[in-house]
Amino acid sequence: MTNTLIPLRNGHREEQPGHLCMSRRQFLLAGGALVTLSALGVSSQAEAAPLHALLAKYPKLKIGRLSALKTGEPLTFAYPYPDVRNILVRLGTRAGGGIGPDQDVVAFNQQCTHMGGPLEGTFKNKYQALGPCPLHLTTFDLTRYGMVISGHGTESLPQILLALEGDDIHAVGVQGLVYGYGAMTAQRA
Amino acid sequence: MSERYIPADHTPLPPRDAEVFTTACDYCTIACGYKVYRWPVGKEGGPQAKQNALKTDFPHQAMMTAWVSPAQHNVVSHQGKPHHVVVVPDKDATVVNVGGNHSIRGGTLGQKCYNPNTPTRERLLHPMIRVNGKLTAVSWDLATEAMADISKYILAKHGEHAWAIKMYSYQYFENTYAITKLGMTSVGTPSIAPHDKCANTNDATGLDDAGIDSFAASYQDWADCEVAFLSGVDPYETKTTLFTQWLMPGDKKMIFVTPHKTMGVAWALREGRGLWLPVNLGTDTVLHMALARIVIENNWQDQEFIERWIANTWEVDAGYGRGTRNTGWQWRTTWGNWQSDWPDYKKFILSQEESKLEVAARITGISPDDIRKAAEWIAKPKADGSRPKTSFMLEKGNYWSNNYMNTASLASLGLICGAGNRPGRMISRGGGHQRGMMSAGGGSWWLSPEKFPGRRKKDFNLDRWLMAGEIKFAWVFGTTWVAAMMASDALGARMKELTNGNPHQITRLDRAAIFETLKKRVDSGGMVMVDSDIYPCQPVGTEFADFVLPAATWGEENFTRCNSERRLRLYSKFYDAPGEAKPDWWAVAKFADKMGYTADGSYQWQDSNDIFEEAARFGRGGVLNYQPLVAKAKELGAKGHELLRGYGTTGIQTPIRVRDGKLVGTQRLHDPSNNWGDMEGAEVQLQVLYAFGTQSGKAILLKSPWKFAGWYQFFEAVKPRPEKGEIWVTNGRVNETWQSGFDDRRKPYLAQRWPDNFIIVHPNDAKRAGIESGDWVEITNDAVYVQTGQPQGVLDADLTFNQLMKDGHIKTTVGRFKAVAIVSDEIKEGVAKSNFNTPRSMANAVVSAVPDPMTNNYRYKLGRGVLRKVGESEYKTDLTRMSLKPRPIV
Repeated sequence: MTNTLIPLRNGHREEQPGHLCMSRRQFLLAGGALVTLSALGVSSQAEAAPLHALLAKYPKLKIGRLSALKTGEPLTFAYPYPDVRNILVRLGTRAGGGIGPDQDVVAFNQQCTHMGGPLEGTFKNKYQALGPCPLHLTTFDLTRYGMVISGHGTESLPQILLALEGDDIHAVGVQGLVYGYGAMTAQRA
Repeated sequence: MSERYIPADHTPLPPRDAEVFTTACDYCTIACGYKVYRWPVGKEGGPQAKQNALKTDFPHQAMMTAWVSPAQHNVVSHQGKPHHVVVVPDKDATVVNVGGNHSIRGGTLGQKCYNPNTPTRERLLHPMIRVNGKLTAVSWDLATEAMADISKYILAKHGEHAWAIKMYSYQYFENTYAITKLGMTSVGTPSIAPHDKCANTNDATGLDDAGIDSFAASYQDWADCEVAFLSGVDPYETKTTLFTQWLMPGDKKMIFVTPHKTMGVAWALREGRGLWLPVNLGTDTVLHMALARIVIENNWQDQEFIERWIANTWEVDAGYGRGTRNTGWQWRTTWGNWQSDWPDYKKFILSQEESKLEVAARITGISPDDIRKAAEWIAKPKADGSRPKTSFMLEKGNYWSNNYMNTASLASLGLICGAGNRPGRMISRGGGHQRGMMSAGGGSWWLSPEKFPGRRKKDFNLDRWLMAGEIKFAWVFGTTWVAAMMASDALGARMKELTNGNPHQITRLDRAAIFETLKKRVDSGGMVMVDSDIYPCQPVGTEFADFVLPAATWGEENFTRCNSERRLRLYSKFYDAPGEAKPDWWAVAKFADKMGYTADGSYQWQDSNDIFEEAARFGRGGVLNYQPLVAKAKELGAKGHELLRGYGTTGIQTPIRVRDGKLVGTQRLHDPSNNWGDMEGAEVQLQVLYAFGTQSGKAILLKSPWKFAGWYQFFEAVKPRPEKGEIWVTNGRVNETWQSGFDDRRKPYLAQRWPDNFIIVHPNDAKRAGIESGDWVEITNDAVYVQTGQPQGVLDADLTFNQLMKDGHIKTTVGRFKAVAIVSDEIKEGVAKSNFNTPRSMANAVVSAVPDPMTNNYRYKLGRGVLRKVGESEYKTDLTRMSLKPRPIV
């Protein structure tokens, strides 16, 4: 089980070779896993093309086992970079992009899309929500692709796309732009 | 971009040589400062600080600093060539949104910009005339000539009263000045009403009568208070950065008077800094009187302040009470019901049955303990004898439920607590929209046929005039009118009858033929309608209007206006208006030319700055006075707009004053420290700068007898009827929507959040009606009252509800709308709340259109209805749209 929380730092990020996440060079060279549209819960063919174009092919990373996940008890992991801190949770209710037999296992980035506030420790099991952000109180609906419930984030919370192989849960992609990034797959200072 | 929201994983960064413009948000009253970066398509800035205009390394992990979210980027046309723009909150801001704070509304301004690859392609691009029922593109000349032909005929035959304007009161000084110049000065009609009222009347009228300017406070005052009494408002929902930037920090306490436990309320409660008073709808006055009684009985009032700043008997009488004068203000203040001095007010409060704690608790539905606690918070002196610094904010839950008495009673409560003219101790509105009205004056309000009892002139109720079929020509500027006003179904039905329900419809694009048709229309009792807007406006533009004119808006022209702390900024033009869209001032000038109003040299504006400078002298007597800035610009040989541009997102707070040759802003009104003695330069030494807005400069305590017939009869008539299974159906705003949603539903990101209107229902009410979250609910009120005819007040009781009903001036109509249920105990039982002003789901349809006889303003919040499940919405299963979670999750 990967359960590493990368501490928040100001300014630029440092490369961390050998860490569980890839360096920029590794990332750019990697072929990555194919992200299927079914992982997004999007079925319409009309919407398939632009969606696919927007998604990078990220290398897959094992982040946990389905059998070990308890409903409402989130785990944290970093993906696709060491400074991108995410939550993995089994919600107990069907969710957009959810995997597993009940389509209820999802993962989301934990930086508020308003001004980058830390959402660590704010998971609300009763509402399947993240938040409120300690800075300005934004909340996010984890059953609806990280949509803002109430607040100021100008993007849905970036969703970490998951794939299930047997009992293994893999992170395979990111949908959205993480706070503080100009681009997810290029353009690093 | 797409119709559907698809998260992007990249945003172009502005290169180092991108051009930068300052502006402020187009939406709520707070008006955060923004920067716009523009550069030609074909290049992008790099991720290193030295490679981009944000001077920031990407990626970074620094909270609350430079970041461009995908919703902040767009591609627009500038001088006909495609350019990238990013519209980001100004991280260098030192006022309003210090450090770049922002709301979800302003944070997505980039998506507002016209781009034919996005849903903004629905923008109106050409003037259009409805021919055979279909809007057909025509030239500006033909549209304005045909409008002028029929206008001249109507003015000559039916008089100026038949020629009406329904206008936004906030969409920039340059436009509002031009529109009011046309309506009030050139046409000279009294038939003008702003977007949010049926008459051109006061908002928080009790504050006005007490001598308190509604926008006296600065945001700093909300930061500096120790206790904030928030009446009918959670600023988190409607004034986001006022809450997150100015109210949240520190340890101040907040008292929320609202039936809806929204996020701000829930958060303050969690922090141990909040008190939630879920008041029964319409009963705030009783709460205020009960609080005043506790204060008085415990001798907690600020006696020193009262002695210095509250008018005594002689000062109360000064300026009125000396015979009939011709204003509503005179009517309200001369009859002895309201105005008071300290001994009389004290006597009044102690004599009222409703001010007794137990009685007030029963009427308001608030526990006696919480009322007592609130009184302690706002007024009980501390151990060291010092007083708590309390400020009082009111918004629409207050003055849109009982317009006069809620505002009058709150003003009095605040004043005896020593608030009104000191840092951190103010009484002010929070504000809804920004302050963008610069009236050209020459008002013809005195032509209003309406009268208060005692024959004093009353402001003109445009809705009633329309229902009576008296309007022959209506020009609508940027407002929904139907959804925004009360009894929306009845109003819309009548409008339809007068326009496309009339047999005389334009059938060909020939100027003479159009004139002949419209002449027959108006002479057969019909009405001609013009709709100026940026999008097809439902239904006035899409169904009723004969002429639809495309407007240029925010970012497409240089505009100015103030926010709710009177902060004046330039809203820069940074891209081309789409198609043939023109700012409304331009359309007005074009029409004025066709009317022959330009013969004296009027309306010869070359650009919006010309109007800004011309309008300056009309604002000199008000709190938005910026004339000294224009005078200074002239002195420097510069344009007024360009001098203001130099003030960037900081701007300057009006009224602008002059000291040692420099322009100085005014932080707070009524503050005695603003009294500088001699005037300098072009400044105007308004009394409201350093004293209250009354004859004596002292504030007036107002009484508020709960059973006043002008209020109480109406309240009894519109209450939910248990035998019918009705509950209150009130309306309000949510943080993620601005106004009618005209932009929000074209921003894919916001459209997914609120694709349809909601109704928040308490679980017990939902259970009784068999309603679950995600169900479609139809809300019906089979007794929506509409005031009709031409009631003239002669005797005192003439404009009370029962007398109006007896005299046949009340018509009973039916109103209904449909919305998606969100079942949550955040709302008080017996109250359901829906979004205000959603054109395709008009919550105001179940609210009566009988204005407060004191003010001619509606009681917007007092709707009622029966809730009935009519099916399941797609949002029950579609996980890509409309979260159904409760709003306050803490």
